[in-house]
Amino acid sequence: MDIQPLDRIFSALADPARRGMIEQLSRGQATVKELAAPAGMRLPSALKHLRVLEEGGLVVSRKVGRTRTYAMRRETLGLLDEWLDRRKAAYDEAFARLAEAMRRIPEDVL
Amino acid sequence: MNDTHHSTFTVERTLPGSPRHAFRFWSDPALKLSWTDCHADWTVLEEHFDFRVGGDEVRRWRMPGGQELAFRARYFDIEPPRRIVYAFAMSVGSSRQSVSLATVELGAAGNATRMLFTEQLAFLGGEDARRARIAGTAEGFDRLVAVVAAAQAGVH
Repeated sequence: MDIQPLDRIFSALADPARRGMIEQLSRGQATVKELAAPAGMRLPSALKHLRVLEEGGLVVSRKVGRTRTYAMRRETLGLLDEWLDRRKAAYDEAFARLAEAMRRIPEDVL
Repeated sequence: MNDTHHSTFTVERTLPGSPRHAFRFWSDPALKLSWTDCHADWTVLEEHFDFRVGGDEVRRWRMPGGQELAFRARYFDIEPPRRIVYAFAMSVGSSRQSVSLATVELGAAGNATRMLFTEQLAFLGGEDARRARIAGTAEGFDRLVAVVAAAQAGVH
């Protein structure tokens, strides 16, 4: 694996202000202003931190009009993957029970 | 943030017996329960199984944690013994987690049956998932680093 991305992620998360932003974004998307406020940060400084997070692949941003909004990259948290894995595992177990039930109650018995 | 995600996956299984036999385990209430009823510690709150085109299946449970889990389905296509198509929603409490279209295809493979189960789903990321995500933020960092690294390395 390329070590560069890891470096970027670790350095993105190394700063407490940026970790605070991530925590805030994990509750939902927010504008630069909303992200700057809790830490008493000025906008340019908040933007600088957010750029580091975005380069680290942790957040994404989009601009609507004059407002830039940030959001967690959902796949980053692995929530969907984890949830899908759980559902697939449940099917694996269910279908194993199906095969077992079909063996237990064979065709000529019905 | 766009909270909806779509995914499609197929599970393939070889089952002992003919497609006709396998089909019964999807269509007959008692035979279906013989493999779907697996959580002895869940309380069954509702059980309704109307296996015909346009018919509904509803199963609701109380899980040990006190939460209610519901499966609500409707059958849209039934072609014995080779195909069943149904749509279903899963919810936890009042929060819908997913809505899916499931296709079960049964084909003869020698003396056995080859079953293809395909699910096309919209993951809605319900309130519970969101809460779990917030609670998991701290411990999530480890996973987060791994997943982002994997994504960026092109593994995903």
